[in-house]
Amino acid sequence: MSAAARRARPARPSVTDSRTSWLRPLAVTAVGALFAVPLYVVLADTFKPGPDIAPSPASLPTHPTLGNLTAVMDRPDHLFWVSLTNSLLITTLSVTGLTVLSAMLGHYLARTNSRWGRAATLVLLSGLMIPPQVILLPITHVLRVFHLMATVQGLVLFNIGYYVPFGVFVFAGFVRTIPVEMEEAAAIDGASAFTVFWRIVFPLLRPATASAVIFFGVWIWNDFLDPLVILGPGDGTTVTTGIYRAIGQYQADYGTVFGLMFLATLPVLILYLALQKHFVRGLTSGATKG
Amino acid sequence: MATSPTVDGGVRTARPEQAPRVRPAAGPGRSRRAHAALARFGLFGAPGLLVYGCFVLAPVALSFWYSLTDDNPFRPHTRFVGLDNYRTLLTDQEFLTSLRVTTVLTAILVIVPNAAGLGIALLLNRKGWFYRAWRGVFFVPVVLSSVVVSIVWTRLLADDGVVNQALGRAGIGAVGWLSDPSLALYSLAGIMAWQMLGFCVVVYLAGLQSVPEELYEAAAIDGANAAGRFRHVTWPLLAPALTINTVVLLISAFKAYDHIQVITAGGPGSGTTATVAFLTLQTGFIANHQGYACAMAVLMLLIVATASAVVMRLLQRREVDL
Repeated sequence: MSAAARRARPARPSVTDSRTSWLRPLAVTAVGALFAVPLYVVLADTFKPGPDIAPSPASLPTHPTLGNLTAVMDRPDHLFWVSLTNSLLITTLSVTGLTVLSAMLGHYLARTNSRWGRAATLVLLSGLMIPPQVILLPITHVLRVFHLMATVQGLVLFNIGYYVPFGVFVFAGFVRTIPVEMEEAAAIDGASAFTVFWRIVFPLLRPATASAVIFFGVWIWNDFLDPLVILGPGDGTTVTTGIYRAIGQYQADYGTVFGLMFLATLPVLILYLALQKHFVRGLTSGATKG
Repeated sequence: MATSPTVDGGVRTARPEQAPRVRPAAGPGRSRRAHAALARFGLFGAPGLLVYGCFVLAPVALSFWYSLTDDNPFRPHTRFVGLDNYRTLLTDQEFLTSLRVTTVLTAILVIVPNAAGLGIALLLNRKGWFYRAWRGVFFVPVVLSSVVVSIVWTRLLADDGVVNQALGRAGIGAVGWLSDPSLALYSLAGIMAWQMLGFCVVVYLAGLQSVPEELYEAAAIDGANAAGRFRHVTWPLLAPALTINTVVLLISAFKAYDHIQVITAGGPGSGTTATVAFLTLQTGFIANHQGYACAMAVLMLLIVATASAVVMRLLQRREVDL
């Protein structure tokens, strides 16, 4: 449909008088521009020479430079590269583990009709509202018992445990919308439960998988508190805790801080711009499907 | 932000049409089926439940247990102290302040993004690239890290920051957005509201787009003006969106930590922006009173559970009453 045709057919019966119809785009632009000021400041300051940032943070970058970005990448302590590697590793491992475990568990619980299955579902769903602060203190004790404190594996396992309820919520809800007959037919043909799930069910869950992967990915990439506590003050730095440390060490050097923030956000931002529809659906999934 | 268990599909497991079609046979067939069911549980159910049990359920139980002790990593012997920690909490000025701070923060964070999000969603509820693009802009802070958002806003609201520079040009004196103890909490709440706004916008937009057009036409034919159409058609049909936004905002307000840690570290002054969640971690990890911190954590869990149950009950009743 061409743009002109779309305009000709309004989404709603025209509520506003045609004489005031220019008001809506104007209001949207005004509110949106005000809302976006902080986003503009990050962008402008990232490409501004360090000394220009503090006196006039909101000015246009009249002498644009990539100096902040190269300075961050060339730091002698490799803070950026260490953080990036850790964040990539933790996010990839956690998201993969979470997707596999919660798809299997969600499917299992959605297809189980026993009293125990229903009880397990309820216990899992109550985990959706547990604030991390309630469990972080004892978690450090649990991880010490397994010798996993201050390790990437410990953080990954914690992430999986903490986000499994959300994954089950998304996958179980989706499984209930697909008919069980196909699975039954495959089982009668002699396929094992394992084959049925990975060959037949999992490919059908693709929309739920996309939502879950984006949700897990964004939350774990941006997570601050859990890596701060579990990885501890050693060299276990993720992009978020790395930025936090940089503002402590280089209080005055805003060039470095903004460069680091920009680079740490870039992967998420590029994916967001490319897959906007999926991001919006993924991050509000469970909410909008109701 | 955890998504709420509000959506009814999540909790329901029983499906009448899934009742067993084959009557269970007696004898060896039955035990083979029991074996298969056990194998299926071991393969598909157990791994996820095991990790959840170890890293969520066990710590919750441990929190209850520690809250009855005087656990402190620097004391060799941990004693069982019964409800002493809870008794101390009720008269602990620091804790009572944190309850007040949490209440104020929660109230602002539930009301502001909900109201502003609805207004913006109504503005954006049109087709075309222009409105889609702006929706995309409003959603950007949702995908940003709270640490990044906190640092940017700290710069904007600093005593010599962008906002005060602009106010200065307008002839208004500098405001201590983050340095004035009576103002910092509101600035903090505003920053968090800014980050959550896009979420509410998107949920309300989805709600608005699910309103059948016929209802608007019917209301228009009945002579309803714009305000009447909103009150009698749009608003009641947005009830599920309101429930979702309120519960999500409520839970994120209770677990707010990152912004407080980065922006104010609980200050300025003593505990003017320290929420219960923040104080719990300070007490546990900085002051090392772990037993006492666990008592705070347990109280926090009870408050969150009660508040979300009450809000869901109230708002979902509205949905049913339509």
